[in-house]
Amino acid sequence: MNTIAEHIADFLKEYPPFDNLTFQELSDIATNIRVINLEKHAVLFQNNDPLHDSFYVVASGVINLTTIADAEETIINKCHEGDIFGLRPFFAKNNYMMTAKAREESIIYAIPIAVFRPFVANNSDVLNFLLESFAVNSRHTRDNSRSSAKLDPDSNFIDQQSEMQYIQSLSYNNSPLTTESHHIVKDVAILMTESMVDNIVICEKNNPIGIVTHADLSSKIATGRYPITETIDKIMSSPVVTVIENVSLAEAQLLMLKHNVSHLCVTKDGTSKSSVKGIISEHDLIVAQASNPGVLIKEIKRSQLPKDLKQIRDRLSDLIQNSIQKNIPISHVSNIASEINLAIIKRAVELSILDLGSPPARFAWLSIGSQGRKEQLLLTDQDSILIFEDVAPEKYREVKDYFLRLAKRTTAILEKVGYEYCPNGHMGSNMLWCKSLSDWTKQYNSWMNTPGENSNDLSSIFFDYEIVIGEPKIEEVIENVVFKNAVNNTLFFDFLGNDALKRNSPLSFFKKFIVEEEGPHKGKFDIKTRALMPLIDSARLLILSANIKGIKNTYLRFKQLAITDSKNAEIYLSCAEAFLTLSKFRTVEGLKNDDSGQYINLREMSKTDKEKLKNALTPMKDLEELIKSKFQLTQFS
Amino acid sequence: MLDWIKNINKEYPEFWKDYLTKLEAKPNKFVVLSTETSGLNPNKDVILSLGAFSVIDDSIIIKENFEAVLLQYKFLEEHGISNEFIIESKMTKMPEPEAMEAFINFIGNAVLVGHHINFDIEMLNAALERLDCGRLKNEALDIDVMYRKLTDINDKQFSLNDLCEIYKIPKSDRNSSAEDAYKIGLLFLKLKSRLGIK
Repeated sequence: MNTIAEHIADFLKEYPPFDNLTFQELSDIATNIRVINLEKHAVLFQNNDPLHDSFYVVASGVINLTTIADAEETIINKCHEGDIFGLRPFFAKNNYMMTAKAREESIIYAIPIAVFRPFVANNSDVLNFLLESFAVNSRHTRDNSRSSAKLDPDSNFIDQQSEMQYIQSLSYNNSPLTTESHHIVKDVAILMTESMVDNIVICEKNNPIGIVTHADLSSKIATGRYPITETIDKIMSSPVVTVIENVSLAEAQLLMLKHNVSHLCVTKDGTSKSSVKGIISEHDLIVAQASNPGVLIKEIKRSQLPKDLKQIRDRLSDLIQNSIQKNIPISHVSNIASEINLAIIKRAVELSILDLGSPPARFAWLSIGSQGRKEQLLLTDQDSILIFEDVAPEKYREVKDYFLRLAKRTTAILEKVGYEYCPNGHMGSNMLWCKSLSDWTKQYNSWMNTPGENSNDLSSIFFDYEIVIGEPKIEEVIENVVFKNAVNNTLFFDFLGNDALKRNSPLSFFKKFIVEEEGPHKGKFDIKTRALMPLIDSARLLILSANIKGIKNTYLRFKQLAITDSKNAEIYLSCAEAFLTLSKFRTVEGLKNDDSGQYINLREMSKTDKEKLKNALTPMKDLEELIKSKFQLTQFS
Repeated sequence: MLDWIKNINKEYPEFWKDYLTKLEAKPNKFVVLSTETSGLNPNKDVILSLGAFSVIDDSIIIKENFEAVLLQYKFLEEHGISNEFIIESKMTKMPEPEAMEAFINFIGNAVLVGHHINFDIEMLNAALERLDCGRLKNEALDIDVMYRKLTDINDKQFSLNDLCEIYKIPKSDRNSSAEDAYKIGLLFLKLKSRLGIK
């Protein structure tokens, strides 16, 4: 009798591949386990270490699996609770090819290979799972509740990852139109039109000898150089550029550029001496490159359960991480990310509507705060408001009740996806923020005309909003209210200005970072409140006072301000750049720790990064002066 | 006062002699242990259950465990406590003398680790005395003392629950000495690496 072994067996049976084993088998395995504690940053094994006699299951904490390529440490995978890793000893004899390092303090079960091997041999499900895990670096067990369908989303996942790395094989038309050289141009053209394609391969005994595309038809036939009764071999482009079947996106792109062609012919062995397998057009390349976020959005639209959405959100994190590692500009990344976030929230509302029945009145669900500004890269908390159109007083109660329920359900779904509830309750599910249009108009009026008076709950995030789903007219009405009130509203700008400037400065008098002095984040730099928020608040203030509608993104706001207020353009542009740099730091930190990235650990930063961060903080001083003089804030501050 | 003279020629039980010879070697492992007792007085109260694990090379070896419910019929009867809960459980049950013998064989010369281990050792010593054995001679470590040493706090004691909270070890609803021993084991691993104990 070994109670702890049974507890461990209880834990294991929740996760694949252990869920394929009986409890008795699991107890036997659990009896032979060693329990290891890894302190933060402790290394369990590293690249080129000899193999251990065990593989590992994460009991708590997070283990990062990394490889070193081009002198850069790349995270292949983060293993969370219940994930297995270190499977190499099962399948290979040579040394470890990666490093396993504790991202945070972790407890790990070491399962001896010798004990587990019989179960692998006797159970093909287990074996398959291990093979799969080994192949994709045990990426699998992210979604704990995944059952039989586990292989499909994963294979999809592999595509997703490699797609980012351009080594994905292309999908292309693999039943191309073919013809033979003696056919008449007119007949071929009719054939192409009927099949609605822009190209045809001319073959001789199934081997490609040439290709005719729209370009050939327009340059050679339409110009009258050849009559349409000519045989097709007179006008074809020859020879064809041929490639093998599993060509990668990058390679196809290179070949097209090199040969200056728009189509590649796929043949069996990659030469023109074998049979035609398909045709790759430029369009296929575009689709392959664009499909990434597109596919995610499509999947969001199809998903039925919160856990599907969660999986997509997880994949988005990987996409963001990859893009940042590839140095894709952060403004592009955040555009894509916010579109996907938007789609997820929209789907969450739709799912709730499906559950509750159609709404009794028109409404608009607005995202506010970071998502409203389209700057949400990491999983932060959800902020939203709900506005419904005015209804007859006797129906008001019922309608409000419906929308409250709708919002509660939606926020609950989003919570399951991984967006935490807003700690300040800035959500549509809150009685205060689920109101009729006229109530909202009143609300904005009172916020803007009497700021600070009996409206302690005024938070500047209400001035960044983005419609997610519902009636766009409602958003327009609110926007008009905001901008009408903003004109010459000194009091309001005073309030916002002081709000923007009240944050503590990021650097001390001696140009040292001011770090948290106590609390759980002691010694870390609070990049959100000390660096990003002042920029965001200032941008909002300036754009509202310049009466510029429709620009919601902090980066774009600064860019726009540089155009409209050209004498201060330099300050604005440097702020725009600084904002991007700071967001990137925050995102990288957040991805590293799986949190919101609010606190940056300066000790882990390289010297050059620290300098970069410091440089990004310098434009803030100028911006502060600018705001002070523009809104004459001196009397308050 | 001269108690030790009385013991000089006393014949110990066989397992105790084995234990004494084992102690001559250098300890190569740790044993985390936890006892469940009927009360806090080593002279009057008895051990109700024992849980222990080996810790070798910075890992808890689940297989090397010791877990037993002690059948204290006499004590329970004297105090009018029902023993149904013992009979119903699936745990390994042993009378005290047998359990002590097995336990002494299990620990050997290992370094003992526990939470407020002095009390555990006192209870074990009292039980051993009833079997005409000597006192435990193993080295012993107390995780509360280790933690206070790490954090330099001298004016406060920390319960097992406090420590679990500090190091974020999940609490379980099941409470037994084996469960406690396992938690102590995890805490010990954490403290050990922080204090750099080999």
